[in-house]
Amino acid sequence: MEEKPSKVSHKSLDRHGSDEERKESVRSDIRDLWTTATLSQSELNTPLSDVCENFDAEGRSISQTRGWYGQGRRSLDEGDKASQKLRRSSSMEISQRKEDTASELKAEKSSSMSSLDIVKHIPHHAYWAEQQNRLPLPLIELMENEALEILTQALRSYRLGIGRDHFLTKELQQYIEGLKKRRSKRLYVIVKDTLGSGRPEPAQCHAGSPGPSLTPSE
Amino acid sequence: MRLKQGSLLWYLYLDKSYCLLSVRNVKALVEYFHLLDVHGKNTLNDVLFYHFLHHVTDLKKRQINLVFDMLDWSAVGEIGFEQFYVLVCILLAHQNHLEEQFMYRHSRTVFDLLDLKGDLRIGPKNFEMYRFLFNIQKQELKDLFRDFDITGDHRLNYQEFKLYTIVRINKLQKRQKKTEENAERERSLCSRKCRIK
Repeated sequence: MEEKPSKVSHKSLDRHGSDEERKESVRSDIRDLWTTATLSQSELNTPLSDVCENFDAEGRSISQTRGWYGQGRRSLDEGDKASQKLRRSSSMEISQRKEDTASELKAEKSSSMSSLDIVKHIPHHAYWAEQQNRLPLPLIELMENEALEILTQALRSYRLGIGRDHFLTKELQQYIEGLKKRRSKRLYVIVKDTLGSGRPEPAQCHAGSPGPSLTPSE
Repeated sequence: MRLKQGSLLWYLYLDKSYCLLSVRNVKALVEYFHLLDVHGKNTLNDVLFYHFLHHVTDLKKRQINLVFDMLDWSAVGEIGFEQFYVLVCILLAHQNHLEEQFMYRHSRTVFDLLDLKGDLRIGPKNFEMYRFLFNIQKQELKDLFRDFDITGDHRLNYQEFKLYTIVRINKLQKRQKKTEENAERERSLCSRKCRIK
């Protein structure tokens, strides 16, 4: 169930590699895509078709079952053209990186600001790369809930049968706690996401600033 | 024997021709098995197995213990994924009324499971213990040993068992054909009545 992490290499993300090598390397780099997943240019360089089978090179949906992809089709095309431009510019920047890091940082900042708009429309590569190999989240939730119920009952039997201090009982107890933590983290993320997607963009607020009040200011 | 509604197994299904799970279903089952594999040994011990089966079915403790003994064919006190998969297929076949097809398609596997002693014979006592898994009535079991014990040793070898599965599925197909013909006759009668009116 756990995937072994592997090192990221720029060569592995090279689009001139073979399809199979690319797919294998992308799968092996999924964890690193998540750990280094910031809104920077390098994460946009991976073509969507390399990551997701249901998308062609231009980011258009191939599969009809995933209908809601079509909604972002136009924006995906625009985004992909922009990402190609960014790719070209980034390759030049990488070659000059050793000579002038400060100018590169400035260039990255300006491009990342413009890429914010693009990223809103392009599906997150790391997310879709993971989703290709994983079971649907509702199914995982169902399985985990059921497993928790079964294992909680099993823990009672362990305690009655072999005692609380037996290493198997402790192992099961720790496992159940780990499972509960994982489930609560996921629920927290889901709640956070649903609240975030439902609300309009919140106004910027700084710590310590007074909220709106009904009393007239003095 | 019924599966608990809303459990994971309740959402799985067998392919009706081959009576096996699809790759997608197996993938889900593997994940589920690993979730239950608390001690990281790729196995379920008797306690975990009991609570799993108790949770997802309405089997009694005695029946669950019998099933565990049947599946623990290496007598190590643990069930691996292979045995788990066979069990799930049996449960789903029972749930979806595919027992005849399952026994026909996987007669060798079922025979090996019921051959508890390993002497390539199934006695009436063993078959009686496990008939609840395959929805075989008491009288049907008696008829089975009367009609198919060709060698006369009051036990079934594999050929006799295979013959039984073939005859059983033939009977099922004839029953299904009869019900379809009856349904068609009723439809044609209704349509004639409508035309006369």
